[in-house]
Amino acid sequence: MLENITTALSILFEPMRLLALFAGMLAGMVFGMLPGLGGVAAVSILLPFIYLMDSYAGLAMLLGAISVIYTADTITSVLLGAPGSPASAPTAIEGHALAKQGKASLALGVGFLASMIGGLFGALILSVAIPIAGPLVLALGTPELFMFALVGLCFAASMVGKDIAVGLAAACFGILLGVVGAAPAAANYRFIFGQPYLMDGLPLPIVALGLFAVAELIGMVASGGGIAGKPMAMGKWGESFREFWRSRWLIVRASIIGIFGGFVPAVGASASTWIAYGHAMSSTKDKRRFGKGEIRGVAGAEGANNATVISDLVPTMLFSVPGGPAAAIFLGALFSFGFYPGPRMVSETPDLMYMIVWSVALASVMGAALCFAVTPYLARLTRINFALIAAPLLLIMVAGAYQGTQTFGDILALLVLGVIGWLMKNAGWPRAPVLVGFVLATPMEQYFWLTTQIHGFAWLTRPGVLIIASLIVVPMLLNLVRRWRASKASAAANPADTQPASDDDAPRDSTILLLASALLLIAFAYACYEMMGFRSNARLMPAVGIVPGLLLSAYIFGRQLYRLRQRGQIVHLGSRQELPVLAGILAYGVAMWLIGFSLATPLLLAWLLLRCARMRLASAVIYGVIVYATAQGMFALMRLTPPVGSWINLPMPW
Amino acid sequence: MFTNTPTLKTLSAAVLVTAGSIAASPAIADDFYEGKTIEMVVPFGEGGATYVAAQFLRPFLEKHLPGNPRVDVQTRPGGGSILGANWFEQNAEPDGETILFTTSSTSNPYVLDMEEVEYDLAAMRPAYSLPFGAVIYVSPNTGIDSPAGLLEPDMPLIYGGIAAAASDLPTLLAFELLDLDIQTVLGFDGRGPARLAFERGETNIDFQFTPAYMSQVVDMVEAGTAVPIMTGGSVGEDGVLSQRDTAFPDYPSVYEVYEELNGEAPSGVEWDAFQSTGAVTFNYGLTAYLPEGTPDEILEIFEATIAAINEDPEYQQQSQDAVGGYSLLPASEVTESLSEALQPSDEVREHLRTLLSEEYDVDL
Repeated sequence: MLENITTALSILFEPMRLLALFAGMLAGMVFGMLPGLGGVAAVSILLPFIYLMDSYAGLAMLLGAISVIYTADTITSVLLGAPGSPASAPTAIEGHALAKQGKASLALGVGFLASMIGGLFGALILSVAIPIAGPLVLALGTPELFMFALVGLCFAASMVGKDIAVGLAAACFGILLGVVGAAPAAANYRFIFGQPYLMDGLPLPIVALGLFAVAELIGMVASGGGIAGKPMAMGKWGESFREFWRSRWLIVRASIIGIFGGFVPAVGASASTWIAYGHAMSSTKDKRRFGKGEIRGVAGAEGANNATVISDLVPTMLFSVPGGPAAAIFLGALFSFGFYPGPRMVSETPDLMYMIVWSVALASVMGAALCFAVTPYLARLTRINFALIAAPLLLIMVAGAYQGTQTFGDILALLVLGVIGWLMKNAGWPRAPVLVGFVLATPMEQYFWLTTQIHGFAWLTRPGVLIIASLIVVPMLLNLVRRWRASKASAAANPADTQPASDDDAPRDSTILLLASALLLIAFAYACYEMMGFRSNARLMPAVGIVPGLLLSAYIFGRQLYRLRQRGQIVHLGSRQELPVLAGILAYGVAMWLIGFSLATPLLLAWLLLRCARMRLASAVIYGVIVYATAQGMFALMRLTPPVGSWINLPMPW
Repeated sequence: MFTNTPTLKTLSAAVLVTAGSIAASPAIADDFYEGKTIEMVVPFGEGGATYVAAQFLRPFLEKHLPGNPRVDVQTRPGGGSILGANWFEQNAEPDGETILFTTSSTSNPYVLDMEEVEYDLAAMRPAYSLPFGAVIYVSPNTGIDSPAGLLEPDMPLIYGGIAAAASDLPTLLAFELLDLDIQTVLGFDGRGPARLAFERGETNIDFQFTPAYMSQVVDMVEAGTAVPIMTGGSVGEDGVLSQRDTAFPDYPSVYEVYEELNGEAPSGVEWDAFQSTGAVTFNYGLTAYLPEGTPDEILEIFEATIAAINEDPEYQQQSQDAVGGYSLLPASEVTESLSEALQPSDEVREHLRTLLSEEYDVDL
C-alpha cells in the first residue's frame, strides 16, 4: 500500500499533470469566486479540455477545480455577502457581517484554513474508501438519510433569529419553493403552471443567486461607494491563524460532519454546512454574535462544505452514485477515460485512487495558499464605486443562471427570486431559512416516502436513526439545562444586551413590510388552494410547509396592520432609494426578453456606468466595451448562445 | 441460443451492399461534412449515461463521417429531457448539422401524449441507435434462481424505481405482463441509488442498464449477492421484442420467460404495451434523431458511416467496456420498428395511461 502511495505521487508529479492540476485549480478559484457559477460551471467548462490530455492529467484537472471551489467562494461570500455557492450561505451571513466591521481578513483567513482542513479530511477518508468509507455508505439506509435531512432542518431552525414567526414563515416559504416540480412519491407535478421549465423544480444556484446576490447588488449600486464602509486592512493574517487554532476542534468536528454529508446523496454540502453551522452555534456559549459576525460560524461552515465535496467522491468511485452535480460530472469523466467505478476499480487500480487522494490534498493546500495570496488584491476592489463592479457582476450572474437550462425561464426565475430577495432584505426578514427549507424539502420528502414504503414504521427503532436523532435531542436538552441554570443564577444580571444599533436593526419601511407580508399571505393562500387537488402522496410535504406558513403569514400580516395603526407609517429612505435600481434591473430583464442579451446589455451598461457610476463618456465607453466583450466571451467559453430576443434576434458574429 | 444468426448475416450483407452502392455513387457523400460542425444535443446534464455515450461515439463519428466534421456535444438539460427536445424541435434545421441524441425519457412523454411535449418524435428521422440493454436480477435471500421462481419467492419482493413514467416503465410493464406480485417503491433519485438500496437489502429485485450492470452488478453476481434472472430482450428480424439481448446471450428475454411460465407466446394489449415501451427503452435505448424533413442523402451518409464504425476494430474493442459491446443500429434497422413503437394503437396508449394513473398515481 505504501508503495502505491508513492507510485501515485510520482504519477502525479509528471510536469504535464501538475500543470493540469494547477490549471484546474485556477479555473476552480475563478469560478468559485464568481457568484452563482460555482463548481458545476467550473467542471463543465473544463470538461471538453480534459479529452485533450491523458487520463491522469484530465482527472487531476477536474480534481484541482473541485477541491478549491469551496475555498475560493469564501472570498465572494465574505466580501460581497452573496454566497459563491449555496453551501456557503452561512459564510456569507457571518463573514460579510465581519467584513462590514472591518474584520474581513479574519473571516477570510479562518475560512481558507478551515476549508483546507476540510479538504484534507476529505482526502483522508478517500484513502480509506474500501475498508472504512464504503461500509459506512452502505450502513446508511433510507431511514438514516431521512434523519440526516431532518437534523439539517432542525439545526437550521435554531438559527432563525429573534423574530421566530418571521423566521419560521421564511423556512416554510423555502419548503414551498422546494416542492415545485415533480413529486417523488406520486408522479404529480406541483405548481408548474403548465411550464416544462418548472418540471425539474427551481435550480438551486438560481434560488441562491436570486435571494442573496441580486438584492445585495441592488443595495450596493443604490448606496454608491464601495462595499466596505471603512478601508479593509488586508494581509495581516496573524489574528486569523490564532482564531483558527482556537477553533481547531470545531473545524475538525465540522469536517467530520461534512464527510457524512458527502455520503448522503442529494442532501450533501447544502445540509451538512448548515448542520455544521448549527453545531458551531450550539457549541458556542455566547450565541449573541451569531448572525452579526461570528467567526466560529465561518469556521464550522467552511470546514464542512469542503469536506463534503471531497467525500462525495467516495460513493462516486465505489458505487458510481454521485452525491452532487460536480461529482456527477467527475463520474462521467471517469467513464470517458475507461475507468468503470466500483469496488473493483478502487482495489485493482490503487494508483488511480491514490493519485486522486494526492491531487485533492495538494489542491486543498495550494488552493488555500493561493487564496491568501490573491485576497489583498481583490480586497482593493471593495473600495471602488460598486456600480463599476456591478456591471460585470450582473452579467456573470445572468450567464451563471442561464447555464441552468438555457431558456428564458432561467432569467425570469432569477429576476422573480431577486425581487423576493430584495423585499425580504428590506423587510429585515432572514433569507437563510428560505434556502435551507428549499434545499431540504425534496430529499426529506423523497426519503420519507421511501422509508415508510420500505420499512413501515419499524424504521423508528433502527440504531442509526436513534443515533442521528440524538444529535437533535441531546443539544436541545443541554441547552434547556444551561438556560435553566443561567436563569436561576443570574435573574437580575441582564445587562447591556442592546448592541449598538446597526443599519440592520433600524426600523423597516412600513409599506415594504406590508407589501411583503401581503404577498406572502397571498402566496400561501393560493398554494393551499392548489394543494387540495394533489394526490395524497404528493400533498404531505407541501402541507408541512404551507399549513404553518399560511397561519404564520396571516399572523405576520395582521401584526403588521396593527403596528401600522399603532406606530404610523415609517419611511425607510434606504429602501426607497433602491427602487430605481430595482426597476432598472427588471427593465433589463424585459429588454433581454424583447431584444435579446446582445442588444439589451449595452443599454444596461450605459445606464449603470453613466447614470449610476457617473463615469465620463470616454472612459465609460472603453470600460463598457471591455465588459461587454468579456461577457460575450464567457458565453462562448461556456458554449452557450446568449438569450435571444422575441422581437429582434441579433445574429451572433460567430 | 442464437437462432437467427443466418438472418443477421443476410442483413449485414444487405447493409454492406447498400454501403457499397453509396460508395459507388459519390454524388454528395464524399466531402459532405468537410469543414462543418455537427452539434449533438444531449437533453441531459454532463456526466450522465447519455452524455457519456455521446462522448464515446464522438471520435468514431468524426473519423468515419465523410469530410471528418467536428462533433460538438451540447447539453440542454431540464424538464426530464423535454426542454432540450422542445428546443431541438423549434431550432434544428434539417441540414444534418444538428442531432438530438436521447433516450426513452424523451419518447415516453411523447407516447403518453403529455401536454408539455412540443416535439413530434415520430416525424423526426432516426439516424442510428445504440441498444441499451437491461438485466433484471434478484437477491439470493428471495430463494429465486430461475424465472419460474419469481412466482413463488421465499419473501415478498420489493422493487425500487425512479418514477413509473420514466425508464422504469417497461420493467413495471414486464412485472404486470408476467403477473408477478411485487411491491413497487418509487421515488429514488436514479438507478444508482436504487441499486444501493438493493445492496443494503432494502429492496430485493432490481434492474440495471448494461454499462452499470457490467461495472457494478457482475461483481455482485460473482460474490453471490445477486442472481440474474432475465433481460428486456432485443428486437428480432420480425420486429418483435423476443430475442435475447446480444450482450447477455445466457439470460432469457421477458418474451421467453412469458412463454415458459404460460406455455404460449405473449399477445394482447399488455404485451403490446411492454413491447412498445421496451423496444424504445432497450433496443433503441439511445437514438440519434435528425429533424423532420432531413433529406434521404444525409440519412444514406449516416447509414454508410454506421456500418463503417461497426467494422472499426477500435470500436469493437472499446465498446465492450464502454457500452456493453453492442453494435450501432443503422437507420435501416431502426426507422420502421421505432416509428411503430412511438405510435402505438389508441388501445395501447389508453391502457398505458389508465395503468399509470390508476396503479402508479401518475397525473397525466
